[in-house]
This record gives sequence, C-alpha cells and structure tokens, in this order.
Amino acid sequence: MMLKLVDVFGYLSVILRAGTLVFQSLLLGGVLFVLWIARPTSEIADGNFAKVQSSSLRMLRIAAIGLAVVQAFYLYVNSAVLMATAEIGLRDVVGANFFISGSVIFVAATLTAALARPGRKLAAIWLAVLVTVALGASVMTNHAASRMEGRVSLIIVSSLHELATGFWIGGLPFLVLGLFVSGDRPTQWYITKRFSRLALVCVGVIVATGIGMSLSYIGSWGALYGTAYGVMVSAKALMLGALMVLGGVNFLLLRNCSPDAVMPRLRRLVEAEVGIGITIILTAASVTSQPPAVDLVNDKVTAQQAWSRIKPTWPRLGIEALAQSSANTPARDGVQTDSAPKAPPTSVDGTPLSPKNLADIEESELNHHWMGLLVLAMGVLALLARSGKAKWAEYWPLLLIGIAIFIIVRADSEAWPLGPQSFWATCLRPEDLQHRLAALVCIGFAVFELRVRKLKLENHPAALAFPLMCALGGALLLTHSHNLTNIKEELLAELSHVPLGILAVFAGWSRWLEVRLPAKDRAVPAWIWPACFVLIGAGLLNYREM
Amino acid sequence: MRRALHGPWISILLTIILLNGFSQPAWAHAILMESKPAIHSSVKGPEVAIWLRFNVRIDGSRSRLRLLAPDGSQQALPLAKQENPDILQSQASGMKPGAYTLQWQVLASDGHISRGEVAFTVT
Repeated sequence: MMLKLVDVFGYLSVILRAGTLVFQSLLLGGVLFVLWIARPTSEIADGNFAKVQSSSLRMLRIAAIGLAVVQAFYLYVNSAVLMATAEIGLRDVVGANFFISGSVIFVAATLTAALARPGRKLAAIWLAVLVTVALGASVMTNHAASRMEGRVSLIIVSSLHELATGFWIGGLPFLVLGLFVSGDRPTQWYITKRFSRLALVCVGVIVATGIGMSLSYIGSWGALYGTAYGVMVSAKALMLGALMVLGGVNFLLLRNCSPDAVMPRLRRLVEAEVGIGITIILTAASVTSQPPAVDLVNDKVTAQQAWSRIKPTWPRLGIEALAQSSANTPARDGVQTDSAPKAPPTSVDGTPLSPKNLADIEESELNHHWMGLLVLAMGVLALLARSGKAKWAEYWPLLLIGIAIFIIVRADSEAWPLGPQSFWATCLRPEDLQHRLAALVCIGFAVFELRVRKLKLENHPAALAFPLMCALGGALLLTHSHNLTNIKEELLAELSHVPLGILAVFAGWSRWLEVRLPAKDRAVPAWIWPACFVLIGAGLLNYREM
Repeated sequence: MRRALHGPWISILLTIILLNGFSQPAWAHAILMESKPAIHSSVKGPEVAIWLRFNVRIDGSRSRLRLLAPDGSQQALPLAKQENPDILQSQASGMKPGAYTLQWQVLASDGHISRGEVAFTVT
C-alpha cells in the first residue's frame, strides 16, 4: 500500500509542479508587464494604457488564484502521502522544507490575487515583493536546494533562470492580451517594442544560466543522451531553439517593417511562442522529477546501446504476427516471423527475455509500426495535398478513421473483435472504454478536419481544435514522471518518445500558424506540419523495445 | 496479453480525454549512492550498523528505514541524529543469519519523496 501510494503520487506531483511553474511564470511575466512594459508614456493617450493595464491585472489575478490553488493541492497531496508513508502526524510535516515553501507561495499568490486591481498605486511595489517571495520559495523546492555541492551558486543561477523564463515566456500571454485589447497601432507598437527589448535580455540570461546548470547537473556529453535528465534537457533546448527562431522573426519584423505590416503577423507568431514556451515549462517540470544526470554513476546508456535501439530497422508489419498476437497466445516459442531476430533477444543489459516479455514486446512494436504506417501515410498525403498536384490527397483525414479501426481492433487482444471476450462483456471495462472513446474521437476528428478542408472553414475558430489537440498531446508526452526501477530501459523508451513529442508540438503550432497567419504568410508553416507528421510516422515505424 | 497502444495519436487522445497517457507510475529523485551493508553483500551479525549516503540533502526526521527479516517479519529502525545532510544512519541488533531487505524512504530537502531497497545477507 505504501509503495503504491508513492507510485500513484508520482505523475500527479509532476503535474502539480508543472502547474506551479506555469502560474509562477505568469505571475512574474504579468507583474513585469503591468509595472514596466505597459507603463504609461506621454506619447500615448492614458486611456489606451488603462485598457491594457486593466486586462493584464485581470489575467494576473487569475494566474495568482491558479498558483494558490495548485499550491494548496500540492501541500495537501504531498503532506498526505508523507503522513501515510512515513507514519507521522501533521505537526511533524509542518516543519518540512516543502511545507514551508508551499505555504509561502500560497500566501504570496493569495495576496497577489487580492492586490492585483487597477488604481492601487502602492500595490505595485507589493506585487513586485510578493512575486519575488514566491519565486524564492519556489526555487527552494527545485534541484538546487537539495544539492550537496555548489548549493548557493546553483540557487542563484536557478533563480535567474526561472526569473528570465517568467519575464519572457510568462510575459508573452500578457503581450498577446495587450495587443488584443489595445486596438490602436501606436499602443501596440509601443508595448511590443518594449517587450522585444526585454525578451532579448531574457533569452541571453536563459541560455547562459541553462548552460551553467547543464554543466553542473549533466556534466558530460555522454550524459546528454545517456540519461533521461540529459535527454529531457536536450528536448528543452531544442524547443527553446524553435522559440528563439520565432522570436528572431518577430525581432526582424519589428525592426524592418512598418507597424501596419507587422502587427497582423506578429500577434499570430506570439501565440505560437506562448504555446511552445508553456510546453518548455511543462518539460522543465518533468526534468525536476529526475535525478540530475551527474548522479547516475552506473546507469547511463552508452552510445552503442542507444544506437542499437534507434538505428533504422525494417518494421514489424507481418500479418502472421498480427494474427498470432491477437489470438491471445502469450508465449510463442519457436514462432518465426520475417523480422524475428536470429540471436536470442535480450534487454539492454543483455538479460535474455522471457517468452512472455518477448511476446509483449513484439505485440507492442507491431502496434507502433502499424500506427506509424498510418501516420506516415497521413503526412505524405498532406504533403501531396499541399503541393496542389493531387486533389484527392485532400482526403487524408480519412486515415484517422483507419487509426480508429486500428485502436478498436488492436487495443486489447483479449476483447472483441479479435479476442474471446464479447463487446458487451468488455464495454464497461475502463481500459476498453478508453480505447473505444479514443477511436470515436478519431472518427470525429476525421469528419471535422475533412469539413474544414472541403468547406474552407479555416478561418472558423473551431479549426484550431485539431492543432491544439496535437500540440497538447505532444506536451503531455513530454510531461511525465520517471521511475528508477529500470533506468536504462526507461531512457531507451524516452529516446524514441521524446522526439515524437517534440514533433507533435511543432506540428500543432505550425498548423496553428497556418490557420491564423494572414493568407500570404502561410506557406512555410503549411509545409512544416505535414513534414512533422511524416517524421512522426517514420519514428513510430522504427520504434523498438529490445 | 493486454498492452496499451503507445503511438502519439493514441496517447494524444487518451491522455487528453481520460488522463491515460504515457506517464510512468513512479517518480524518483534521491538516489542511494552508497550503503553499508552494500547491496547484495554479506555482513556479520548479530549487530549490524546501517549507513546510507544519498545524492541530495535528506530530511532525516521525515525519512524512514524498515528491515524485512528472513521470516517475513518487519521492523522499523530508529534513525540516528544526522551528522551530514546526505547521510542516514541506524543500528540493527539481534540479527540472525539469513537474507534481509532494508527498505528506505526519504524526503529530500526539495520535497521529493523517494524510496528503495538494499538486499543483504547476515552470516
């Protein structure tokens, strides 16, 4: 029971950490935006700034309430788990570092929510103090606080990293909101220029502190790909690179084009920046659930082990294997498929796999490979449709129905339609119910996307649902906890899943941009997302578990 | 044989709709770097000193050690006062020859709860 409780707690705690980091960033970005970016100037009428300030303060209040709620939940859950597993009372929990830090953040966030109202001049100073206190308390629950060596310098570097992240990424939603509510070009131009200068400084601080922390927490090139921590940090760096490209485009637009030419494009680009930026913060939450790479002395995956898992190999698509794995035959000793390895299959450490494990792995790989084939086909058709040379390829969303059928048929080999258990006997079993609902959603998306394309509904807000789902799915792939029971296998799975998550995020936001940008600017993103689909399909086709 | 499908499309849909995603069912942060007795080592009883060193600062007053004896019985081990923030110490007495498992659960200074085991034999 004790072990189970801590296990279940794992994923929830990553989600709570993610919530904390996102709301904390919004608080930092929001306060800076209100106090400095959207500070009234004599060049622009006061009334315009009043609208921006008022809406920004409203969003700041919401973020503060969000942070307070997440902290209250975190305190409750962490305390409950600690009390149950360590068999101690609440009085003993109260003195723990996490409890003190969480309580401070809760109080600071609650007071911020109370003070973030228009027309309170003194409140401005208090808002700055409160978010600084919240940041300080938050840093006391990250890796830096528990290190044995270089603790003080790591706390300072982490604080700067989180501060710059908050100012930039947390400030972006306020910029989007400001651009939306201000309505007039001079105000929009003023706040955008100010934000752009700030973002430039923040990017420098994020990169410098990120490199500093990587040197301390990762320590070697081998750990960059040989540990889950290193891989997730690499994922963060890659997405930061994409964010910097978008920011760079904005930077050049601002300096080379007129306000009227820039603003329609810039707003949409910033929206994508917000999405990718928040995904980076979510990935950071996942990183905090892992021990720093330098501490994994004996459990790093070697380059050879990683390569043997990711090197291109012919996919497992045999119909014979498909039928056998669906026929509820867990042990298939002696069965040879086209892709069956000649040498006895082993785990990453060279331990021979049991027939049951082997059968499970083969079935999982088979599922991934068929799914990969369908996603690859979708990507190729979408590219063809984009080229304008194959009108029929516009019907690529129909492949989503193929995925739905695949889910229904393959999700549970014990259940209908291939297994011995009937549809009705399994329809209320949670796993089967989930799979069938997912299949229904796939069908819904197929119909919906087809309508968007054929009826030219791309300017309809509902057209954003599909890219959002894609981006959110990718973000969730990157936001997870890790266990230490089989570190190397975990990492090897990570090596295949993390790129898929990043590609899904890029696919989602590039499709978002295609829908949102002015028609003449859609060419580049319109090519990116189908290419991401192709790469996701290829990645799935090469997925292996042994 | 039942395996959840783990393709991104499936996970996208499942995680979003029903929170049934790729999440691994455990987390960990504190790692046991060194221990006495060492994992899978043999030590002489009946008095055995327990010494555990972790990679991070540990909140000793909110951490626990439990000893599983060869006969299946369990015993909570009292922790000595921490001399170093990354080290936990205890003392087990009256240990008969056989295979033991030391279960540890620690609260790291940053609030993470981690756990693990050290299997050893008393001769």
